Amino acid sequence: MIGEEADRPVYIIAEKINGFVPRSGKAIEEGDAEYIKEIAIAQTEAGADYLDCSPATTNGYGDNLETMTWLINLIQEVCDTPITLDSPNVDILLEAMKLCKVPGMINSASLCEGKIDKVFPAIAGTDWKCVVMLDDDVRGIPSNAEGRIDNFRKVMQKAEEYGVDADQLFFDPLVETLGTNDQSFVCFSEVCRAIVAEAPEAHITSGLSNISFNMPSRKHINIPFMILSMFSGMDSAIVDPLNRDMMGCIYGASALMGNDEFCMEYIEAYRDDRFGVQKK
Amino acid sequence: MSTLEELKEMVIKGKKKKAVPLVEQCIAEGVAPQQILDEGLIAALDIVGEKFSAGELFVPEMLVAARAMAACTDVLKPHLSAAGSEPACYGMIATVAGDMHDIGKNLVRMMLEGKGFEMADLGVDVSNETICDYLREHPECKLVCLSALLTVTMPSLASAVAAIKEAGLDEGRTIFVGGAPITQAFCDEIGADYYTVDAGACAAKAAEVMLG
Repeated sequence: MIGEEADRPVYIIAEKINGFVPRSGKAIEEGDAEYIKEIAIAQTEAGADYLDCSPATTNGYGDNLETMTWLINLIQEVCDTPITLDSPNVDILLEAMKLCKVPGMINSASLCEGKIDKVFPAIAGTDWKCVVMLDDDVRGIPSNAEGRIDNFRKVMQKAEEYGVDADQLFFDPLVETLGTNDQSFVCFSEVCRAIVAEAPEAHITSGLSNISFNMPSRKHINIPFMILSMFSGMDSAIVDPLNRDMMGCIYGASALMGNDEFCMEYIEAYRDDRFGVQKK
Repeated sequence: MSTLEELKEMVIKGKKKKAVPLVEQCIAEGVAPQQILDEGLIAALDIVGEKFSAGELFVPEMLVAARAMAACTDVLKPHLSAAGSEPACYGMIATVAGDMHDIGKNLVRMMLEGKGFEMADLGVDVSNETICDYLREHPECKLVCLSALLTVTMPSLASAVAAIKEAGLDEGRTIFVGGAPITQAFCDEIGADYYTVDAGACAAKAAEVMLG
């Protein structure tokens, strides 16, 4: 958590244990337990609040409960960081919840295919969180902010019906690649601001590297996206906490936003060697 | 680790919320208030000052330690006066006429307070007249600290020192000058007593000169 004492601290969801990340995909397909444990520890030490755990690989391998279970057990063997269960298959998510020693996060639900109606009853009254995408069955990803804000309101209504608290929800306004839509962030930012205005307890997250897809020097899009989104109200991101440039900029932005008394978190994280010129 | 040592550690780290209850705990354990001040608080700021001068600490770390120290001093003060402790020395500090900078001045003040000086802070853009009036009215004030942060306000610093001397108010007093553009050569030229390079060094030098 960055900005611990602030109204909206930033939660880091660590992205590395994901079959679509080439090195992790290889480890999952080869059953390389040591690598998974290693990056679970490394990401935790780098400040991850949640460890995303997404077994499906690009070869179509791993999208099953067995692989999910294998990953969860490995992670829990070496750390007690809450896990973000990440699968397109809701049934796997609901089964995997039972294996977690501490409440984690579901990634994800949405208005599509009645996913919310399966996930919300399972997390109501618990400490579990849930990433909620703002797409729907009819429009897919609504092309404008209004459509996504409209979906956000529908989700909030569902949350109320099922007894899910706003602070259990991590809304993902969905980001289109900047290369194909130069107004992508403008729309994203508008949705963020609407969410904060209407449900200040709710969280906002993003798998942010999408924004820079097919652009050169991606970090120069990703980092400004992160910072501008924080300023728009985003308080979480699915990122690599071992990315020193990104993490340093998040700490710096948090301090600039007045969320870091005496800049102590920034300085402490620097002293902990989380960013800046590497000390060891 | 004794409670007193723990207090010192917490002040160095600037942990106000942890440090203040430790002052109370020291008092409850029967540690003399003067000892709490000397070995818990002043000793902590000594280390902070040294580390800052050595480039090991950043400015906010010094500010946060000074804040912890101030919060602890507030709790300790009633006990100190009950025990009859006097401040080690009285002093005043000001940024000279025409200069609005106060961060450096405040740092110096806090570091001096950390050494046990009771400092009157006259603020920024302070006229020679105000400085002289204050010194006239406060014979107990022995330490005079003047700061200028701009090359264009350096002459104000010279004129403030000259005004104090002309009025004979430097008698029995020690004048420190400082600020980014100030040098030892400038200090000598305008007839001030001491120049130091930063807040930590100022507090150390003032303690050495004034408190022996």
